[in-house]
Amino acid sequence: MTQAFAGRCEPKVTQLVKPQPDGAVHRPAIVEHLDFAALPRQHVPRFVLSPRRIFSDVLSRGWIESAIPFLAFLVVVITILSTTDGFFSSGNLRTMAQYAPDAGIVVLALLIVVAAGGIDLSIGSNFAMTAFVALFGFHILELSVWAVLPMSVMTGAVIGTVNGTLAGLLGCGALLTTLGTMITIRGLYTLASQSQLVEISASARIDAAWDYIGFERFAGMPVGFWALVVVSIAVFFMYRQSRFGWHLLAVGGNRKAARNGGIQVKRTVFLAYIMAGALVGLAGFLYAARQNSVGSDTGIGMEFFLLTALVLGLGGFTPGRGAVVSVLIGFATIYFLNNAMINAGFRGDLVQFTQGFIILSILAIDVRFKKNLHRLVASSYLDPVKRVPEPVQGAEGLMPDQIAPKLADATILGAGEIDGPEDVILDVQGNLYCGTRDGRIVRFDAPDHLHARTLAKIGGRPLGLAFDQEGRIVTCVAGMGLVRVSMDGTHELLSDQTGRSLISVQDDTTIRMADDLDIAPDGMIYFTDATKRYDMENWAMDLLEGRPNGRLLSYDPRSGRTRTVCDNLVFPNGVCLAHDRRHLLVASTWECSILAFDLQDLAAGPRVLVSGLPGYPDNINRASDGGYWLALAGMRNPVIDLAMKHPNVRRRMTRRVPPTNWLFGNLNIGGVLKLDSAGSIVDAFWDRPDGPLYMITSMREHKGALYLGGVTNNKIGRLDLPDVDNGWTGPDSYWGQK
Amino acid sequence: MTLITDAIGKMLGQRNILEVVVLGVNVALIIAFAILVDGFATLGNLSVILSNSTPLAILSCGMAVVIISRGLDLSIIAVMVAGATTYASGIEAGLPGGLALLITAAAMITVGMVNAWLIAFAELPAMLATLASAMVIMGLFRFAILQGEFMLLLPKSNSAVQILTTDILPGISVPIVVTAVVLVATWVLLSRTIVGEIIYAMGDNFAAARLSGLPVRPVTVVIYVWAALMAMLAGLLISSASGAVDFRMVTNGSLLFDVILVVVLGGIPLRGGRGGLRNIILGVALIAVLRNGMTLMNVTTQTQDVIKGIVLLVAIATENFLNPRDIETDTVGDL
Repeated sequence: MTQAFAGRCEPKVTQLVKPQPDGAVHRPAIVEHLDFAALPRQHVPRFVLSPRRIFSDVLSRGWIESAIPFLAFLVVVITILSTTDGFFSSGNLRTMAQYAPDAGIVVLALLIVVAAGGIDLSIGSNFAMTAFVALFGFHILELSVWAVLPMSVMTGAVIGTVNGTLAGLLGCGALLTTLGTMITIRGLYTLASQSQLVEISASARIDAAWDYIGFERFAGMPVGFWALVVVSIAVFFMYRQSRFGWHLLAVGGNRKAARNGGIQVKRTVFLAYIMAGALVGLAGFLYAARQNSVGSDTGIGMEFFLLTALVLGLGGFTPGRGAVVSVLIGFATIYFLNNAMINAGFRGDLVQFTQGFIILSILAIDVRFKKNLHRLVASSYLDPVKRVPEPVQGAEGLMPDQIAPKLADATILGAGEIDGPEDVILDVQGNLYCGTRDGRIVRFDAPDHLHARTLAKIGGRPLGLAFDQEGRIVTCVAGMGLVRVSMDGTHELLSDQTGRSLISVQDDTTIRMADDLDIAPDGMIYFTDATKRYDMENWAMDLLEGRPNGRLLSYDPRSGRTRTVCDNLVFPNGVCLAHDRRHLLVASTWECSILAFDLQDLAAGPRVLVSGLPGYPDNINRASDGGYWLALAGMRNPVIDLAMKHPNVRRRMTRRVPPTNWLFGNLNIGGVLKLDSAGSIVDAFWDRPDGPLYMITSMREHKGALYLGGVTNNKIGRLDLPDVDNGWTGPDSYWGQK
Repeated sequence: MTLITDAIGKMLGQRNILEVVVLGVNVALIIAFAILVDGFATLGNLSVILSNSTPLAILSCGMAVVIISRGLDLSIIAVMVAGATTYASGIEAGLPGGLALLITAAAMITVGMVNAWLIAFAELPAMLATLASAMVIMGLFRFAILQGEFMLLLPKSNSAVQILTTDILPGISVPIVVTAVVLVATWVLLSRTIVGEIIYAMGDNFAAARLSGLPVRPVTVVIYVWAALMAMLAGLLISSASGAVDFRMVTNGSLLFDVILVVVLGGIPLRGGRGGLRNIILGVALIAVLRNGMTLMNVTTQTQDVIKGIVLLVAIATENFLNPRDIETDTVGDL
């Protein structure tokens, strides 16, 4: 015993407030300062660098969906660079920038329709038709260029209207409808162009603006290229910023959900076709201005070429994705490939074969990749590390097999009325509050605490609770953040995100699992985000990982700002201000230790107050005698301690063994430790092995009794304590009597 | 309106309404052409209609089976041309007709299996897989056999080509017999075999079919191999009749459009699970009559295209009006 205490502060008997009859004046116990400087430092890593974690974090980012198309693009570019000479010379690039834009605009038109859950096969015919209309307007009707452009765009929009009316408003099948318009418009185009082609080619009309659009350069690049840039930016911002763009994506993503969400599905699809048609009209105009003629094969096969480009960019036929950049990359890939092969003098049939083969390969790889992505993430997400907690010390003679289970005497409150009171708290009047699994804050009225009634429905998973100076409850809600609940039931979200840590692939601004909090005398709220990598349902997985994934945060109610006080803590759980109001105690669950922070010098980092606890500490709260109550959510055992030393065992286990058979922390039995002001264990309260109060996560002392909550329990325990100040209440002792 | 459609529906039992409409239109067309067009209602013209529509009917049998299983085969014309190319080059190399046919069939079965592998095992969407495989097939056969040409002339004097155009009985040519056999085989496949049952199950609800343990992957192989064989037969008939294999049939897309038109107008929905032989015959009859009548009226190909396109649009709109889709159950993948 003495050896176990070596190197620690000797327990100093503080000024014990003798038990006093009710009505006596209670004052906060005056306690010596924690001997902070004498405590050993806790090493906190500045950042966590792990290849596996970086890998899995990268895989779970949204943009990884475009990885295969982008890689394919790179491979194509590198292959072209290494096999040809001067393909990417500025001259050749400029030539391509002259010829590619009209198809580029049409592929964006196709994207608009496909993203809204449709398809448009008529784009090729539409393109030919609008080009013809532009030529007809320019050469035969001799209109000015500024009348030809709207004419061409309007023609496209009219064809889009036909598609939109049938496929959007009437709800006919898009593939068949646009197949029908494709054939019809192609027939009309052939008839019209045959009758006018001679006159068009015989026309000698020359117009400066017409030629400028077709041939001249603006700022070094062809006019058509700038048109493509403008359209791309417009479509990009439409999907990102505009309400209509969001509606399009919603309709494409899930028509039923969009309809039930109040979006006018039919009108949205209708407008999508019209927009696409108008864009095709613009492209047709550009083509007409450049080529000054149309042929019988204008636009033939364009729909298939561009559909391929689109599919290559999106990595499959995926409605509801407005990925402008990806689609343009897909278009560039197929366009470069096509051009480079033709430039290199390959015959058309070989080009066709190679292209088809490459497209099939990219698609097959991409489909596989997307299908198995979540598996890859799941199998690499858990990233265990060696963790060796201090051996159990300081609890000799107090272990469950050595003393009687004192919690067996507890009376049970609210059995079956509540589910999962992770934390309990009592106000000065003795009303009991707790959070429940279904996102409510429940109140049991003093003095007998018989019935539960809902104080507030806040949602999420309320965990730790604390009273602020005004008598309002501030609670940590897993999945939400920090919420303040007034006694009239109104509640407000104080904080749900903090600053992003410097080195992080994953955006870790969101507070994922706010766990427990305490409020400093100046009103500053200190709270823990137990793990940045797991949600409330999977918090125990964090044990298997054993990495420092949690952080201590502070919220300043005056400025409303949330700040990360200390990142990379090992599952920081319970938070409690020391009796001296200067130091902050934080339980580190998987380390089986309690850390202390100096509030006047937070940058100095934490020091270890207690280590080698016999179980996994959860919440920690002040006791009336100047000591602390510490809940143990579960007990350590040699098997888990051993497994924690061998990360590869745990990794293989999670990959090969079904989750129901995993080795897990012993989280179904626990108890309460009584610590003195220096952190030495002075007493222990264990439950019976078959007892009703398994897994205790919190306890509060109130007027001579201890109230016990458990995150998986459906009841609250109440244990009368002998020999304590039976007039002591938490809020009064801390905030002073009002 | 719903009252009327309900009444019509009851009158006709559980039949597809579009089917009835198309049948009515078909009868009306025949009557109109018979009155208006000289030489339409003759026995000779009937035989012309029959023999002209044989490739279309055979292709439609292939496509219908694919579409009933909720797939789509956009490579069917490419396969058709590829098959004809293989056969023609085999004969040019001096092989006997039977051996050339065997080699062609083996090659086309391989092509069908590649399609099926892409769809069933690589799990690409059928539309994309066959769109790309059409490019691959075209490129490969043009590269390997035609050396980049578009056309391949068939030796018309060769008996292996002649036999495909001869008459067995007066007025009953080999193509007609082949078509009849194909139609019967399609009916047997769809209505009299377990594979057929599975095809309908896949079309109705693919996920349910797969989850209930049906062998959807092997059946997918059967479906696309079937389509490839049908394409091959049609290719042999077309090329032997015209004396040439023309790869531009693939690029101009008109035949593919006709095949889809036949299937859809016949009353087989693109979402699969419905339809049968009756629908194929109905669709082929409509298109064949329309084509024949318009050709007799000296309507140009382009105008025919416009008319066919409008017919398709009207048919879609009518079907949608008589048999509206339920927006609530409509999912995005349904094009």
